[in-house]
Amino acid sequence: MARIRKVEISNFRCIKQLTWLPDSGVNCLIGPGDTGKSTILDAIDLCLGARRSLQLTDADFYRLDVENPISITLTIGDLDDALKNIDSYGLYLRGFDPATGTVEDEPEKDHEVVLTLSLTVEGDLEPEWCLVSDRARTQNSARGLVWSDRVRLSPTRIGALAQANLGWRRGSVLNRLTDEKADATAALTKAARDARAAFGDDADSQLSSTLTMVQDTAKDLGVAVGTRVRAMLDTHSVSFSGGTISLHTDEGVPLEGLGTGSTRLLIAGLQRKAAATASIVLADELEYGLEPHRIMRFLDSLGAKETQPPLQVFMTTHSPVALRELSGDQLLIVREVAGEHQIMRLGSESDVQSAVRLYPEAFLSRTVLVCEGASEIGFVRGIDQWAYANGYGSIAASGVALVDCGGGDADKPYTRALAFQRLGYRVGVLRDDDKKPSAEIERQFKDCGGAVFHWTNARALEDELFLNLPISAVGRLIDYAEQQHGDQQVDSQLRSESSNRVNLASVRHDLEMDALSLETRAFIAKASRKRRAGWFKSITWMEEIAREIVGDALESSSGELRNIVFDAFGWMHNA
Amino acid sequence: MPEPSIDLLAIERGTVTAPAGCGKTQLIADALKRHAEIKPILVLTHTNAGVAALRARLDRAGVSPKTYRLSTIDGWALRLLSLFPVRGGITQEQLQLTNPKTDYPAIRKAAVRLLRDSHIDDILKSSYARLIVDEYQDCSLPQHAIAGLAARTLPTVVLGDPMQAIFGWQGNELADWEKQVCTYFPLAGELNVPWRWRNAGTEAFGQWLLHLRRLLMSGTAIDLRDAPGEVVWIQLNGTEDRTLQLRACQTKAPSADGNVLIIGKSTSPPSQQEFASQTPGAVTVEAVDLKDLVNLAKDFDFHAADALDKVVSFAASVMTNVGAPDLLRRVGVLQRGTERREASEVERAALRFVAERSPRTMVDLLVEIGKDAGVRTYRPAVLRACIKALQSCDGGTGNTFYDSAVRAREQNRLLGRPLPRRAVGSTLLLKGLEADVAVVLDASELDARNFYVAATRGSRQLVVCSRQSILTPRI
Repeated sequence: MARIRKVEISNFRCIKQLTWLPDSGVNCLIGPGDTGKSTILDAIDLCLGARRSLQLTDADFYRLDVENPISITLTIGDLDDALKNIDSYGLYLRGFDPATGTVEDEPEKDHEVVLTLSLTVEGDLEPEWCLVSDRARTQNSARGLVWSDRVRLSPTRIGALAQANLGWRRGSVLNRLTDEKADATAALTKAARDARAAFGDDADSQLSSTLTMVQDTAKDLGVAVGTRVRAMLDTHSVSFSGGTISLHTDEGVPLEGLGTGSTRLLIAGLQRKAAATASIVLADELEYGLEPHRIMRFLDSLGAKETQPPLQVFMTTHSPVALRELSGDQLLIVREVAGEHQIMRLGSESDVQSAVRLYPEAFLSRTVLVCEGASEIGFVRGIDQWAYANGYGSIAASGVALVDCGGGDADKPYTRALAFQRLGYRVGVLRDDDKKPSAEIERQFKDCGGAVFHWTNARALEDELFLNLPISAVGRLIDYAEQQHGDQQVDSQLRSESSNRVNLASVRHDLEMDALSLETRAFIAKASRKRRAGWFKSITWMEEIAREIVGDALESSSGELRNIVFDAFGWMHNA
Repeated sequence: MPEPSIDLLAIERGTVTAPAGCGKTQLIADALKRHAEIKPILVLTHTNAGVAALRARLDRAGVSPKTYRLSTIDGWALRLLSLFPVRGGITQEQLQLTNPKTDYPAIRKAAVRLLRDSHIDDILKSSYARLIVDEYQDCSLPQHAIAGLAARTLPTVVLGDPMQAIFGWQGNELADWEKQVCTYFPLAGELNVPWRWRNAGTEAFGQWLLHLRRLLMSGTAIDLRDAPGEVVWIQLNGTEDRTLQLRACQTKAPSADGNVLIIGKSTSPPSQQEFASQTPGAVTVEAVDLKDLVNLAKDFDFHAADALDKVVSFAASVMTNVGAPDLLRRVGVLQRGTERREASEVERAALRFVAERSPRTMVDLLVEIGKDAGVRTYRPAVLRACIKALQSCDGGTGNTFYDSAVRAREQNRLLGRPLPRRAVGSTLLLKGLEADVAVVLDASELDARNFYVAATRGSRQLVVCSRQSILTPRI
């Protein structure tokens, strides 16, 4: 039932330095790609796995700098009796203070007894596993874990190629379920001999001329090969090694033929059963090969929902489904800050917890743009699609996620934005200007490096569009509104919102004339955003007009519209 | 086999009183043999010799070494502290035992601290199934504290016999059996079958010794004339005591390969040595500190003018009939070249030593002296250790004769003592050794406990020299 209490990594692949106190249950690492999530799993695997050698290259050193040795140090608690044995490990037993996360060199009352295991690799690429304590160092004594203890501590890795676990191979989870052992040696040896006998001298006739040549050459050179060279089945070719016994269906089909997802799911389930003896699991890309409903089963079988976690799981994911299924305490963001890797727990505060449920995707990005409502979301998406179609990069490629605040209170986007900001995300807010947020919260957000984009002069998005777009674009927006909502509704909203100063026909006339007064533009804007009857008030509609109409018209629009949009996109791309 | 009613493995915390020869070691061996858990049982005793003896007994009884960890209490304390020095509050210097007189008490104190503050409870629980402490009557107060604190974590049973507690002296106060041992480790049973004597076919003798033990405990007088036939009383009369004692020393063992232990005066090793030198075939049992050897080595200078004198007088202190003055005079004559008689082997060896002054020539000299006609080594343990020390030293820094002698002494501590056919010692030296015949040279020199230890050394015969047949040893 071992648990990793502390992880320290230096100079390993993309990680220069990392110190982390993992949880004893599920630790799901998230964050944008290439931040080192898998490197952390690899580090644990290399340090704790039962290996006698490692194939490492210069590329495994941080920035290829082989002068600085790779060092992976794991402090392990919840040790069983064998690992706390004073005769085997007395000099290496240490004390871990769970309150502060510090490791004392000697055990102490009320501290947990732990062992610290380290893997170091110098420039010669020779891995060295050893137990660590200051006492041992002063006494110049160095030793590692006993092999059998390493095998017991060895984590199970549920990787992309998890099939290895479906046979009784070394390190397979099957070996950890029970102590039962199948011994096929005798049967296999017999089979090998039988095969040799059955094959017999068949080869002699098939290879007779070659044999004659060998025979003659040997004779000429005086090499003793007996009276006749024979071709027989090589004993080595019929020798069998471990892993020859594996799981099959009742029809004899190997279970290795199962799909990736099924295999991983089955192994997770077996691992749960083997928790008493093998308690640490590593799962890369946990969603790999799994449909959403099976992701949930997978997490359940690893004990993600249990209050007493049966396994300590280290996993990575890019799946919003997985995020939604896990609690904020099980989710950890991996980041590099000023050359050091940091791992930050999302935590269980309610605003974070609800953000995870609502916008799991946002937690998988680098940059988050918190949008006031559906219109802003649709607008940004539409402009992004237009830009992409016109040869610019997409914000998705820059790792940007959009978060919808669903309108309402003007401070709401900031509460949400601050939650992301605290977790180290690069956060921006895109809001209307008709209802202003409290100055205090906006200043706080900006002081922490937040970016704010808003329309001008107390305007909403529609105001900014209708007041600044060229006439042709305004006309197309009205065409779009007519198509979506029918001319009657457009007409009646124009009439009512302008107190009968304009109507659909008068607007059409003005458009024909290319003479749209600012007043009329303002009436159209007001009509377009009538509460509960907005012409573009849905993500789809706004997305569509932004893509089809606004994008092309931005260059020739007046006022601040163009600048605001360009600023926001520039910020999003310049992560 | 011993009382099946006492199951050491079932005792959570307790004491088993074990009179001499009543199967205590067998009881421990049986418990260890039945112990099937993976975690070993920690077995502690007092002296390194005790460890060696117990290990040999357990080996003979076929106990797998996997089932137990055996150490002295001090050795175990030292080990704990070398693993966790900071928690015990001990310095590296103290762990080196450079000043054993102060370092051992400091180590015991530190071990008490380490255990008392519960720093390693979890580790002890993980490492040992339970604790057995043997020879508990010899436990000093700090050692009793160590066992008692370990017993908070481990099921513990202690075994011993208050009547064999003879190691208490100034500065080494023993835990009181009734008031301290049995209150902390409640009495779980007392062995009462005299196995050693039953096996030797002298059950009545064995029963009498158990009876004797009770009398001694209560301070009641003992009349040796009431004892069974195996007990021989030799009356001392004040005029020819020495003759009578020397005759007692020559008591025959009941069989050809039998052995005799002769118990002399504890406080006077020289008198024990004298008896050994005057009794054919007798040798001394030496204290583990090998003081005479270490003293010789301490300020021995191979190049000093009196080096030869020292070697020869050392030889005379471990061998009979060395004729030291004659030998020294002859060497002088030979050196001046005024001899009329040719040099003997011994004398030639002495000349070589004087010429070369090396450890090697010193060994040769000692060996040659031993080979001389009429010479008998009566302190072989000291001579053997001396020769061993000389052979392994080279005079270099860290490997002088003295360094080597100290090493030989430390090795000697760890070795079990082979029992000679006829050995002279004291109760302190002979405790734990068993023979066919025990000879007490003067009962009046022994208090109740020492007399009990002495009386129980022989399984076939006990010879007691005393003025009166009625004894009332001090309790």
